[in-house]
Amino acid sequence: MLRIENLSAWYGEAQVLREVSLDVAAGEVVTLVGRNGAGKSTLLRCVMGLHAGQRGTVELDGRNVGKLPAHRRARLGLGWVPDDRGSYATLSVTENLTLPPAVGPDPWPLARVYEAFPALYDRRDSAATMLSGGEQQMLALARVLRMGARLLLCDEPTEGLSPLLVQQVGELLREAKRHGVTVLLVEQNLHFATGVADRHYLLAEGRVAEAMDNSEVRSRERELLSYLGI
Amino acid sequence: MRRTVGVTAASAAMVVLVAGCGGGGPQSGGDGKLTGGSIVLGVLNDQSGAYSELSGRNSVKAVEMAIADFKAKYGDKAIAEDITVETADHQNKPDVASSKAQEMYDRKSVDIILDVPTSSAALKVADVAKEKKKLYFNIGAATTDLTGKSCNKYTFHYAYDTYMLANGTGKTTTEQVGKNWYILYPNYAFGQDMEKSFSTAITAAGGKVVGSDGAPFPNTSGDFSTFLLKAPTLNPKPDVLGTMQAGAELVNVVKQYNEFKLREKGVGLAVGLMFITDIHSLTPAALAGTTYTDAWYWNFDQQNRAFADRFQSETGTRPSFAHAANYSAATQYLEAVQAAGTDDADTVVKGLEGKEVDDVFLRNGKIRAEDHRVIHDAYLAQVKPQSEVAEPWDYVKVLKTIPAAEAFRAPSPDCKL
Amino acid sequence: MTGFLQNTFNGLVSGAFYALLALGLAVIFGMLRVVNFAHGAFYMLGAFGAYVLLTEAGVPFWAALVIMPVGLALLGMALERAFVHRLTRLDPLYNFLLTFGLTLILQDLVKLRYGVQSSPYETPSALNGSVDFGLFDFPTYRVFILGFAVAVCVGVWWVLTRTRVGMVVRACTERPELTRAFGIDVGRWVTPVFGFGIGLAGLAGVLAAPMRAVNPLMGADLIIVVFAVVVIGGLGSIFGSVAAGFGIGLVQAWGEAYLSDFPIISQTIVFIVMAVVLLWRPAGLFGREEAPA
Repeated sequence: MLRIENLSAWYGEAQVLREVSLDVAAGEVVTLVGRNGAGKSTLLRCVMGLHAGQRGTVELDGRNVGKLPAHRRARLGLGWVPDDRGSYATLSVTENLTLPPAVGPDPWPLARVYEAFPALYDRRDSAATMLSGGEQQMLALARVLRMGARLLLCDEPTEGLSPLLVQQVGELLREAKRHGVTVLLVEQNLHFATGVADRHYLLAEGRVAEAMDNSEVRSRERELLSYLGI
Repeated sequence: MRRTVGVTAASAAMVVLVAGCGGGGPQSGGDGKLTGGSIVLGVLNDQSGAYSELSGRNSVKAVEMAIADFKAKYGDKAIAEDITVETADHQNKPDVASSKAQEMYDRKSVDIILDVPTSSAALKVADVAKEKKKLYFNIGAATTDLTGKSCNKYTFHYAYDTYMLANGTGKTTTEQVGKNWYILYPNYAFGQDMEKSFSTAITAAGGKVVGSDGAPFPNTSGDFSTFLLKAPTLNPKPDVLGTMQAGAELVNVVKQYNEFKLREKGVGLAVGLMFITDIHSLTPAALAGTTYTDAWYWNFDQQNRAFADRFQSETGTRPSFAHAANYSAATQYLEAVQAAGTDDADTVVKGLEGKEVDDVFLRNGKIRAEDHRVIHDAYLAQVKPQSEVAEPWDYVKVLKTIPAAEAFRAPSPDCKL
Repeated sequence: MTGFLQNTFNGLVSGAFYALLALGLAVIFGMLRVVNFAHGAFYMLGAFGAYVLLTEAGVPFWAALVIMPVGLALLGMALERAFVHRLTRLDPLYNFLLTFGLTLILQDLVKLRYGVQSSPYETPSALNGSVDFGLFDFPTYRVFILGFAVAVCVGVWWVLTRTRVGMVVRACTERPELTRAFGIDVGRWVTPVFGFGIGLAGLAGVLAAPMRAVNPLMGADLIIVVFAVVVIGGLGSIFGSVAAGFGIGLVQAWGEAYLSDFPIISQTIVFIVMAVVLLWRPAGLFGREEAPA
């Protein structure tokens, strides 16, 4: 579904991605792990089309989208869950949900979203930034489900959440996967990652250092944790 | 005023330097020669801002008309064949005025600077004229300081001043319209000067200033309603609102005076300083019945009208009093040079002092030797109702001629030439 | 008491102009991150356009009230396409220079044709009288301006808060990049929003023509206060700009009425308020600190 080849990216003079190549098959959940500054978020931004200084190939369903602006990529079925949760202060919860157009074959109707997230329904007329951090994370996920996105780009969706909420996020992603949604996930929580994902890429200094499956991550958990500095 | 030896030496050195650099003729010593063989008149005024319509480029045109008339009058006998005009835009900024004036005198061989509206700029140029010992006829500015504490031997104040305006409008309005005044003035040098002059004139005529307010200057909101609403509530109720605002601010005050229907509420309007161009902006209907003091009016008599017709064929518009005064000033300067046989400043000044003059602008005019105030008849004018306006720009009827001797103040003891 | 009410009313009328101008600046800044220095020039063009339409084509005030804002909005959109949008990716200084230069050009073009002297424009005859409020009467035209400006502000507020268009504009304004990532072509909204802001300036200009001196520099002084208003309200805040607009109108009117013995204060009161607000809330009364990227 997603194929990245020789992707390099810069922030001004500093190169943050060095010829990264990876691919994600339809229906897969793949995580990117790595230290802070390894280039994980930049990679997601490059896929989304939000990063200007990049070179290389980004293919979606076999189509090169490298020249497409972000809004056109979104319409091809990309769902963006940014690391700051992307809540609009000037939009109510409902507006946050209904702002993006449907981009995939199976968008959730608003009623279904509210059924799945009763907490959001209770606060539907509040400004989105008035919600708690966990609620905002739910809102961000609910939004891309409502869009019917086929490939979710999730940037650390569990960061700063309570264990209960982390569990809930995990269930959501698994549920999405059951419906055939593909997910590319930036994640520091290895335990969470192995719980939802099929495969993992370890990014180090802007390169893909290793590709691992769940069992490999589990067996090397101690080593990886100390490498990640957690 | 005394000058220190140092300054004198410096300016003397400057003169030598300039004479050396200019490569023109020798510094004239009153021996019947012209510097550089030509006469150069400098018009320094506002060519792009608020005063560019009432003086501006059309003042330059007026000066050119004066030169043409002078040449026609003297023909071969004219003291110079080569009489030219230099112009510069001072943007109403004192610093710009000062440096442009220096440039004119030093590098453009200008013999006399004319016009210079905006009081603060006018005073700066007077300092330059004094230092360079070159002539300066101020026309466009109102401050009495030019013939008061800032007067000097080379500076003449030609057309009008705040005393003339206050004395004419303040005194007559107090006598004829009502004794109680509310004065609204822009809160900076000109406005404060006007407020003082008006208060003095009103009190002297037996009137009373029941209130006076300085409005912000520049008034960024363009709104004067706070003051206009206050006027009818004062006790005793003022008979007259005297506004000292000029240009666009005057337009705002008058528009809002009409909006709040103050005339219907028994508060008449008197305007401190108004040019024919202001009436044109506001339309006579908005100002009908308003009295003000005018230094000259284009449709006053046949002589003025003839000049105005010529001016209109040159410029497409009728002359303001400043335009006529520029014409007159240039003419009188050229006449003085012709009579003296030299453009040497000291000799020309000597010829001008005390001279009695009558021309299209100066009626019963006299160039006072004591303070270099050029006195002449002034006019109390009233804006006609729209129904009486017979032709474009014919907005005013002259109620009364104020004789020259009464129109201007006596020479100030502050002035020591 | 009567005096106080009158001054309050006048403050609101002045505030109406500030609000309309600040509202336009705020939507433009929000959407483009461009401080439009030419806003005062478009206000002037609105007033001058009304004058020219009346004197040269006999078009009355009421028609000008529609024609000028629409015409200027189209001009604004053309300018946005031709110039402004080419510079939005660069340092904000470039658009500052562009819009400032545009101001000078527009002012001088008008000056060249019509001179600096104010041009006459009369109050439409239907609004020439006074409205009796019992305690005091008030010029009908001022009542009209206040009502009209409030109606426009409420209308804009309604569109922004109650319609899908408004929702998209708010989203584009608050977080343009994020909004693109949600499949919305932010660029497509930029041009009409710029035109809309310019149209509001033109509308304020037409409203000003009967009560203010119509001359090429009429926007130049006013716009300085409007920038202060926008900063006080919070850069880019729609509600803040309107509230601060009316608020500053009131503060100025009360200052002139009750602090007339302290001209230094009454003349600078807008900037005193601005300084105090910025010390207290650096992002303005209703502004938010920029979200981290």
